[in-house]
Amino acid sequence: MVSDSITRASAHAVPNTGGRDLGKKKRARSAKLKQCKLDVRREQWLSQGAMKNKDCKEEQNSVVKAGKERSNNRSFGNLEMRPRGGQIDGSIHHHHHHHDSDVESNSPNSLTSSVLESNYSETTFTSSSSSSSGGCCSGNITEDEEGGGDDGCLDDWEAVADALAADEKPKNTCPESPPEHEPIAQTVFPQETAIGSDQVENLNPPYSRVIPKASGNGHAWRPDDAFRPQSLPNLANQLSLPNSNRKHYSCGGVPWAYNGVVPSSCPICYEDLDFTDTSFLPCLCGFRLCLFCHNRIMEEDGRCPGCRKPYEHEPVEAETSVHGGSLTFRLPRSCSMITRS
Amino acid sequence: MTTPSAPSLASSSRWASTTSVSSSGKRIQREMVELNMDPPPDCCAGPKGDNLYHWIATLFGPPGTPYHGGIYFLDISFPSDYPFKPPKVVFTTRIYHCNVDSNGNLSMEMLKDSWSPALTITKLLLAIRSIFTRPDPYNPLVPSIARLYLEDKAKHDELASEWTLRFAK
Repeated sequence: MVSDSITRASAHAVPNTGGRDLGKKKRARSAKLKQCKLDVRREQWLSQGAMKNKDCKEEQNSVVKAGKERSNNRSFGNLEMRPRGGQIDGSIHHHHHHHDSDVESNSPNSLTSSVLESNYSETTFTSSSSSSSGGCCSGNITEDEEGGGDDGCLDDWEAVADALAADEKPKNTCPESPPEHEPIAQTVFPQETAIGSDQVENLNPPYSRVIPKASGNGHAWRPDDAFRPQSLPNLANQLSLPNSNRKHYSCGGVPWAYNGVVPSSCPICYEDLDFTDTSFLPCLCGFRLCLFCHNRIMEEDGRCPGCRKPYEHEPVEAETSVHGGSLTFRLPRSCSMITRS
Repeated sequence: MTTPSAPSLASSSRWASTTSVSSSGKRIQREMVELNMDPPPDCCAGPKGDNLYHWIATLFGPPGTPYHGGIYFLDISFPSDYPFKPPKVVFTTRIYHCNVDSNGNLSMEMLKDSWSPALTITKLLLAIRSIFTRPDPYNPLVPSIARLYLEDKAKHDELASEWTLRFAK
């Protein structure tokens, strides 16, 4: 594919840019190459994104097109600025300082997100936009606000990301996108693509070589890529949320059933129960007491004041004895402590 | 007898362990307030003097028992680690009961092994009051009274009411 060769060329140019003796010319040339590559890739994204975004209004196009021109210029200007910046971080910062001038509130997020995404290269273009929490979203918001202030496109970027994932196969068979769809995705992606390609060639040259090749084969994502968009929503949930989910279900569910009878003060010492105490359920009988009294009882009696049965597990010991068996270690914690994870 | 030594023990340990005593003090004070606000039937209790850890409780012999009409005084002394340790309860009024010996000591599981920090003086007084109506002759402190209770309850009740008239009025 076209992008393949171009990216390869630009990728080969990466070591050259690292040389000291090379002047601005070379850098400008690589920047131009990048811009070409950007445009081609943008076309690709648009052709994919256009498939599922036909509900977008036509009247956006005129407004949005202006935004496209602006963003094009901006990204290009950014690329031009990069040699002067000299450093990778400099380029990233430049890019976002540019946005800072426009939308201040979103800039910190987009800055951090871009820095974080720089580890992932271009592959994270769609995946990160749907998986990472706020960064890309804010980036898109920024772009939307710049490119005509259309709110309808705010939701579209997710649809586009989904469409990109869903239409991975049809992409090959489909020809280039109809031009009228171009601006729609343009409002969504140019910033990201600019960031992505910029970082790819600066930070992760191997990725830039691998990924376009894959896209040329019809697989934009390597099979072993953890950020494959097809499985992205599930995968992202499994990867990023298992602990918190498990915590909510196992710990949050059962003990809070006792919520109705949580006393405001410890029945033993009559001191007020704080949040840690109220979420502390040492015995299955539901008798609650403060941690101090529980500790005291564990020192001597070791029986629950409510049911007079010995405490089956000793949370204090379980927490300190890391070498204990995993089962005997986790069970007391999940049963006894809600807040602790 | 442990009764006189208990308050001094509490007061001496007040200096030794401030936290436990202050927490037990708060607990006892709260129990006193709740007992005064909602006293159990036929019971009353309160500190003997200015010592929060030494109480005097009064039980009225419930009707339908040979102890009816009697007023029974009890000494309650709280350990400094109350409520993690049970209070010591002693009858200062003599009573003909298989679970109370001649020194006034009380054989109640609640005051020993089955004591729970969740129990309060109110619950304890109610439990003590329940032994008036239902003596436990199978865990007696005075076996002769228990035997008589099991073999000849009428004789037992007669003797008990005799003691009530004699000591508890």
